[in-house]
Amino acid sequence: MIRLAPDQSAQIRRTEKVEFTFDGTAIWGHAGESLAAALIRSGRLHLRDAPEDADPRGAFCLMGLCQECLVVLEGQTVESCRIELQPGLDVTSLRYGADG
Amino acid sequence: MTARYDIAVIGGGIMGCATALRMAEGGMRATVLDQGDLGQGASGANAGTLSLQIKRVKLMPYALKGHHEWKAMGDAVGFRKTGGYTLAFTERESELLHERQTLKAEAGAPIEFVSNNHIRNAEPNLTQKVISASYCPEDGYANSSLTGQYYRGRLRDQGIPYRERCPVTAITQDGAGFALDTPQGEITASRILMATGAWLKPTAAMLDVDLPVNARINTVSVTERLKPLTSTVIGHATGLLTMKQKTNGTVLIGGGWQGRGTPQEGRGQVTAGSLQPNLALAQFALPALENARIMRSWTGFEANVPDFYPLVGALPGVEDAFVLGCVRGGYTIGPYISKLMGDFILDREPELPLFDPGRNFEED
Amino acid sequence: MLLLCGTAQMADLIDILVVGAGPAGGNAALAAARHGKHVVLLDEQVKPGGQIWRAKDSSILSAPQTPEGSAGDALRAQITKAQIDHRGSTRIWQIERQSEGWDVHVLRDGQVERLTTKTLVLATGAHEFVQPIPGWTKPGVFGLAGATALFKQNLSPPGQRTIVSGTGPLVFFVASEIRRLGGTVAAVVTPNTRRDWVSKLPALARRVDLALRGALWIAHIMMNRVPIFWGCSVVSVEGVARVEGAEIQKLDANWAPKGETWSIDADSLCLGHGLIPSIEAPQLSGITISYRSDLGGWVPDIGQDGATSVEGVFLCGDGAGIRGATAAELHGTLAGLSAAEHLGARTAKERATLRPRFNRAARFGLAMTALSTPRPGFAMLTKPDTIVCRCESLTQTRISQEVEVGAASSNAVKSGLRAGMGPCGGKYCQTAIARFIALHENRPEAEIPPSAPRPPLRPVPMSALSANFDYDDLPIPKPAPL
Repeated sequence: MIRLAPDQSAQIRRTEKVEFTFDGTAIWGHAGESLAAALIRSGRLHLRDAPEDADPRGAFCLMGLCQECLVVLEGQTVESCRIELQPGLDVTSLRYGADG
Repeated sequence: MTARYDIAVIGGGIMGCATALRMAEGGMRATVLDQGDLGQGASGANAGTLSLQIKRVKLMPYALKGHHEWKAMGDAVGFRKTGGYTLAFTERESELLHERQTLKAEAGAPIEFVSNNHIRNAEPNLTQKVISASYCPEDGYANSSLTGQYYRGRLRDQGIPYRERCPVTAITQDGAGFALDTPQGEITASRILMATGAWLKPTAAMLDVDLPVNARINTVSVTERLKPLTSTVIGHATGLLTMKQKTNGTVLIGGGWQGRGTPQEGRGQVTAGSLQPNLALAQFALPALENARIMRSWTGFEANVPDFYPLVGALPGVEDAFVLGCVRGGYTIGPYISKLMGDFILDREPELPLFDPGRNFEED
Repeated sequence: MLLLCGTAQMADLIDILVVGAGPAGGNAALAAARHGKHVVLLDEQVKPGGQIWRAKDSSILSAPQTPEGSAGDALRAQITKAQIDHRGSTRIWQIERQSEGWDVHVLRDGQVERLTTKTLVLATGAHEFVQPIPGWTKPGVFGLAGATALFKQNLSPPGQRTIVSGTGPLVFFVASEIRRLGGTVAAVVTPNTRRDWVSKLPALARRVDLALRGALWIAHIMMNRVPIFWGCSVVSVEGVARVEGAEIQKLDANWAPKGETWSIDADSLCLGHGLIPSIEAPQLSGITISYRSDLGGWVPDIGQDGATSVEGVFLCGDGAGIRGATAAELHGTLAGLSAAEHLGARTAKERATLRPRFNRAARFGLAMTALSTPRPGFAMLTKPDTIVCRCESLTQTRISQEVEVGAASSNAVKSGLRAGMGPCGGKYCQTAIARFIALHENRPEAEIPPSAPRPPLRPVPMSALSANFDYDDLPIPKPAPL
């Protein structure tokens, strides 16, 4: 197959894998990447429910505007696209029906 | 050019719209004009608090009637009767609270003083630093954002023509009545009612009348949706805080902190110097707000006159021109006092006394 | 002034505060610094670069270089070399006029801070327009421009198998990047036709370098047998709680959907239909706005070289109209020079030299904006039960009912339905709603302005605003009249 723009994924070197939890499940990501990026890679796309109709939602704008990628970290709602991944983060999805 | 109206109402807030509805019921052909959209001035920008605890003693009969009006409007305006607490955190505030709420209770508001134990049971998320509190079961709130939608619907249902984005730029009077210049053409009417809130001064000036109206620039803020934290309307003995959690989970925070700007220049501006202590006081009263994010803050212009009483009656010195403006508690009282205004213009005897816009404002 | 809360004070008065460190803001800061001004450069991101030259995050140890990476690295190196006071991860939430200039209130590391500056250069860039389609709220749908943030910052594709659907050149860049980063592109779908592109040849000829790069993306996609559906759009997203595929349909010349539809499987979708200038900060500074469809919608009113009618405030880059990165660099330099001139520097000659270059670059950028801007029929992609306002889950039906009973402005729809009162502040629904009102009322879009922006410009934690509050400092007013 002709590749004018080759697949360079194998040439990318990243920091070591670190573990964090999302709704209690252990997930790995690379230290220093955005929490949203780690969640997307792990296939955890459904991060919250829309408050009015419980419509499943996930990261959308990836630049800190749309507020769709909100998750709960240390009791505070945060934009996962703007949180730097550190080992041991305890992240929960934002479900309004389920007490916060 | 349109046919002459019996009355043209300048200002499409609660008071302009509610008076137009009353006058139409009485058989007058009314029209409502607003420089922007209906209900986007103080009527739509205020915090929606319906609290007898923050009403003036002399206005209590009007406020009690106002509460009935809001209750009747119900879900369409987001009305909720939740009861409300006013909190004191210091001895001085406690004295102030007792002195003032006692007078308000004597004026007819069902206000009682409650024990700290009572308030901790009723509102467990409030700070433990409350040293005394008063309670009024009649208190609650409505959703001021729905003002425009509500009155637009009422005016349409009653067949009362209204024009939005239609500022009146000049008013002239001749033997037959008034001619109003607007970007949508000239509008003529036998009478006019000025109900432009904080814009009353420039409105009256078009007929060379000087009304002593200036503007307060009240700040309101709202949080993101939060889990249930409080179920009543919370106030503070000094009046520096009003707070309620709406059914959607957002917490609305007011308290009359002043932004800046003038009605003539357009929108008021939020200042960080006012906003921050306002929010800090809210968090002091309800510590769980610490984990909340503020989504929006805005200001609304509230009309103000030297004696802090409403303006309801004839425009001094101009026949067939009327003024309606409410100072302090205009949201609560507006739907009721508009009926009195309408009755007065319809030549009916108002149920309660009006407030002469031509009075001497230096006396009380 | 009484200060009750923990707003850290900056003792010094800044000469020129630049908001936004993309090609425009970065170059504005550099130009002003060359003239000896004390410049502070703020940006939401950790490093300068803006959306177009977004820097890699710290998880990337090494990776092959890209043209965007090189351009960003060059800007970042210049900013470092010029010793510009760059403050990353800093969000502005309010701008206030003060006697000696402007107070800019920022949020950084969970704390609020007030900066005071003599002049402001606002280079706040753009955000994305996405025409609401059924299912666009499903997890796995990303903004087309948004997806590039993932590529540039994280060097990750958005999924295993992605459909890329959108307007202008961006759709080809995104498809090419997904393949470079190891993902699979299921299809490229664009409302533009090959004829649309041919019509832009004169503009493309002015920037042979960029035209060739675009041609390479397209050639690459075609040679790898990735289907390109010209004159088509994704019209609905399939899947239960996440993207499982998308339905594609042909569009007519007005971009209304027409004829048969077909489905393609995918686990992710990048969807975007042009950029909208981010004008909230200029509006908070008191700058009036006008509707300019050629510039991407509502834009702040600006004069020559980024000057505005508000003294001491200058604008540049896509936030002043979508003209693209090359124009933004030059516009930034011009605005930085104008701000320096305002503070006494002599820059007229330099600006006169740059202006023709800016105008040329802008012509290319505007041609791309024209390709990217949806045509009127595109509104038909939004169906009655499609969610338009994501924050409040408001459907097109709810909005049309509200407009039909007389809510004839952005403000009226916002007040009545909360469209724009949610956490995004209307950034992702306002344009679609205004277009709908215009269509319904048969009025030009220029008569349906967006609602006035309200601070904070981004959500701010209460804990930051309330920090260091001392109850005893409360200014107890004279009690309200009894």
